[in-house]
Amino acid sequence: MSPPTKRYICSHCGYIYDPAKGDPLNSIPPGVAFEGLPEEWVCPMCYVIKDNFDPLD
Amino acid sequence: MKPALASLYQAVDLRQEIAPLMIGERMNTNGSKRFRDLLLADDFQGCVEVGLEQERRGAHILDLCVAYAGRDEKADMLEMVGRLRGTVKLPLLIDSTTPDVIEAALRIYPGRCMINSVNLEDGGKAIRRVCALLKKYGASTVALTIGPKGMAMTAADKVAIARDIHAIAVGEFGLRPQDLLFDALTFTIGAGDETLRDAAIQTLDGIRGIKAALPGIGCVLGLSNISFGLAPASRKVLNSVFLHEAVLAGLDAAIVDPGNILPLARIGAMERELCLDLLYNRQKNPLRTPLMLFIDHFHRLSGGEVKSGKKAEEAHRPADQALTAHIVEGSKEGLEDLLAILLRRMPAVEIINRILIPAMRHVGELFGKGELLLPFVLQSAEAMKKSVSLLEPHMPAVTEGHATRVLLATVQGDVHDIGKNLVDIILTNNGYQVFNLGIKVPAETIVQQAIEKKVHVIGLSGLLVKSALVMKEGMQQYREAGLGIPILLGGAALTRKFVATECGTAYDAPVVYCVDAFAGLQAVRDSEAGTLKGTTYDNATPVAAKPGVKTVDLDRTHVVPTPPFLGFRHVSDIPLSMLYPYVNTQALFRGRWGYRRAKLSLEDYNTLIAEKVQPLYDRLVRESATEGWLKPRAAYGYFRCFSRGNELIVRDEEREYRFGFPRQDEAPNLCIADYFKTESEGGDIAGFFVVTMGGEIAEKTRKLYETNQYHDYLMIHAFGVELTDALAEYWHTVMRRELGIAVKEPSDTTGFVTQEYQGSRYGFGYPACPDMEAHKPVFALLQPEALGLGLTENMQMTPEFSTSAIIAHHPQAKYFSV
Repeated sequence: MSPPTKRYICSHCGYIYDPAKGDPLNSIPPGVAFEGLPEEWVCPMCYVIKDNFDPLD
Repeated sequence: MKPALASLYQAVDLRQEIAPLMIGERMNTNGSKRFRDLLLADDFQGCVEVGLEQERRGAHILDLCVAYAGRDEKADMLEMVGRLRGTVKLPLLIDSTTPDVIEAALRIYPGRCMINSVNLEDGGKAIRRVCALLKKYGASTVALTIGPKGMAMTAADKVAIARDIHAIAVGEFGLRPQDLLFDALTFTIGAGDETLRDAAIQTLDGIRGIKAALPGIGCVLGLSNISFGLAPASRKVLNSVFLHEAVLAGLDAAIVDPGNILPLARIGAMERELCLDLLYNRQKNPLRTPLMLFIDHFHRLSGGEVKSGKKAEEAHRPADQALTAHIVEGSKEGLEDLLAILLRRMPAVEIINRILIPAMRHVGELFGKGELLLPFVLQSAEAMKKSVSLLEPHMPAVTEGHATRVLLATVQGDVHDIGKNLVDIILTNNGYQVFNLGIKVPAETIVQQAIEKKVHVIGLSGLLVKSALVMKEGMQQYREAGLGIPILLGGAALTRKFVATECGTAYDAPVVYCVDAFAGLQAVRDSEAGTLKGTTYDNATPVAAKPGVKTVDLDRTHVVPTPPFLGFRHVSDIPLSMLYPYVNTQALFRGRWGYRRAKLSLEDYNTLIAEKVQPLYDRLVRESATEGWLKPRAAYGYFRCFSRGNELIVRDEEREYRFGFPRQDEAPNLCIADYFKTESEGGDIAGFFVVTMGGEIAEKTRKLYETNQYHDYLMIHAFGVELTDALAEYWHTVMRRELGIAVKEPSDTTGFVTQEYQGSRYGFGYPACPDMEAHKPVFALLQPEALGLGLTENMQMTPEFSTSAIIAHHPQAKYFSV
C-alpha cells in the first residue's frame, strides 16, 4: 500500500497537516493519514479539533 | 417635433417606424445575474460589454440599473454613465428610484436620456421631484401605473392612475405628453393563479384605454413578466406573441432582451393559437385550462413527459414552490411578484407558516448536512427577511405574539457580537421573536428583561475565556431570580464539559451548549416541543491533546538585541497596502466566511473560490483601500525587563510594571517569563504592541446588521477581523526588523502560521497569557488612548477591531498552551 498523501488544512488558522511530514508538536510521526490521527488530536497551532479541518487535495 | 432620445452619437425616435422601440434590459442588477456579478467585482469594462452586446443584438436604447444594497448607487451610476456615453452609441434609460441618483446621471449625460421610472405610490412626492429634474434637463420618463393602493391590476385602474400622472407631469410641470411612456404593468399568467387569468387582457385593454384617454403619450411594457413561472423555451414564444398583440393594442416600446424575441413568422400556427388562448383566457377544453394545454404542448415538445413522467402541471413551478426555491437559493429577485400572486390565494400568515418557515427549516437542514455553506444561509435569511417585510403590511397588527420569545445577550464585559447576531438572524427568520439586548449585558439586566419580556428561552454568548466564567457566575443569579427557563450558551471558549459540569449544575432548568446558530435553533425547537435537555458530559469523551514539544532546554546565553528606542511610539499612517500580503486568506475564506470545502470536489471548490469568493475578497480589498473604513494604527514600544519566577518585571523610566504569566502544569512546564533573562543574567528587552483598525469598520458593520444585510455583515465583519490579524502579523514583522532579528523570515502565509521566524508574540487573552488584566499595564506603557483605544470593565479593547501582544525575541519562544 502506498503511503497516505492527502493533506488537510485548518479552517481556523491555515495550518496544513501533511502526512508526509506528520506533526512533531503532537508526536505524530510521518506516514499517518489525517483520518488515522487520534480522536483527541487538535491543531498544533491554534488547538481546534479535527472537525475544523478541510481536505486540501 | 418628433419625440426622440439622443446620445453623443445618434438620435433615436421614441416612435419607431416599425414598433416597438426595443429597450435592452440586461444592464440591470436586479434582472441579470451576470451584470450584477460584474458590477460587484467592479468590472466596469465588463458591464459596458453587456451594453455593447445588446447594441449588436438590435436594441434601440439601453436600460441601466445599478442599484444594489451595500453599494454606492450614485457612484456606480456616474461611473457607468461616464463610460457608456463614450462607448455605446445608443441613448440610455436611467433606471433608478432615487432622485439624487437620477439628477447625478442627468447632469453628466451629454444627450437626451429617459428616466425609468416615476409612479404615484407615495401619493406624488417623488414624482414631483423627478418631474422638476426632467423639466430642467429636458429628459423624458417611463411612468408606472402604480398608485397609493399599489400596482393597478384592472384596465380601469391603469387608466385612472395614468391620468393622475399625466395631470402632474403635463399639467403641473409642463412636460410634453410625447415624453411620457406609460407602463400599464404586466402580471404573470404562467403561474396558475386564478385571479390573474385575465391579466393579459387587462394589460392590453389598459394600453388601449391609456392611449385613447391621453393623446400624444406613449406606452411601454416590461414584457417578460407575462410568462413568469413557465419554462424558458415556452416563455420566449409566449413573450413574442404577447408583444405582437401589445403592439396591435398600441404599444410603442418594450423592455426586453432583443435576442429573446422571435419573429412571429417563426412561430407555428398551433403554438400561436395556444398562446392567444392563454393570453385571452379562451377556455376551449372544458377539462383543461388554456395554461394546462399550453404547458402540455411545450412539455411534450421538450420531451419532458417521456423522460420524467411528471404531470404537465408540475413541470412549471407553481408560485409556492417558486417561493420555496427563492428562499433556499437566497434570491430576492421577483419576490414582490411571487408574493403578490400568493397573497391572492392565502393570507400572509399562511404564506409565512406554510411556505417560508418550512423553506428556512430546509435551509437549516442543508447547512447541517454540509450541503449549504454559511454565506448562502445568510442570503436565504435575507430573502426570508425581505419576504416577511413585504408581507407585513398584509398582516393584522399583533401586540402580543404567540411566537416563542427568546432573549439574546453577549455577557458582561464582552464586546463580541457576531455570534450572537448570527443566532438572532437564524431565529428571527425562523419565526421566533428575538429580544437582542446587545453586548456587555450584566446578569441583572438579563434577569429583569427576561421577566419583563416574558421570554421562553435565554441565549447567552461570549468569545472570551473570561466570558465563560461570567456565564458560570451568572447561573446562581438566574436560579435565585426563579427564571426556570432554559439557558443556551455559545462561544469560542466554551466546551461541552464546562457547560455541563460548571454551568448546568448551578441552575435548575436545562443549560444547553450550542456549537453554532443552528444548534441554537434546534434547542429552541426542542424547548417548544418540551423535549429540551441540558447538556451532559460523558467522562469517556476524549480530552483534547496538548500539542507542544515535551522537553525544552532553554538557552540562557542568547544575545539580547538592541532596540531602536526605549519607551513607546504611535504610528497612524500605516498604508493598508502593506497589510494585504499578510492576510491569511485560507482562514478568512474557510473559517471566518464559512466557505468550507464540505461536500464539494476539489474542482468545484476551486471554482467556487475563483468565481465567488476571490472576487468578493478583491472587491473588499479595493473598497477598503479607497473608501477609508479601515484605518490601521499602532502603539508599540520596547522596554527593559527581567523575569522572576512566573513574573516579568517591566521598567519604564522610574515606574515598574509586573506581568504575571501562568505556567504549564505538565512537561515542559513552560511560562512566558522563561523566555526573558533574570536580573542576575543581566535583564532583557520586551516588546509590546496594541494595533487597531479603528472605529469606522465597527460602525459600518453595525449599519449593515441593522439594515438586514446579513451576508455583507458577516463578510465585512470577518474581513475587518482578519485584516486586524494581518496588521498584528505585519507589526510583529516590523518589530523583528527593528530589533535586527528578522534574519530567517517566512516565505509564505503558511510560514507565518507555523512561526517560521525568530521569537513569538503572545496575544493577551490567548492560551499562554489568558489574563486580560494585563491590558492595564500595557495601556500604561503604550498610552494607546491617544489613538482612540479604550478598555471595557472586563479589560477588553475597544473598538472591537483591535488586538495586542507581548513580543519575545528568544529564538526558542513559540506558541504553547497552558
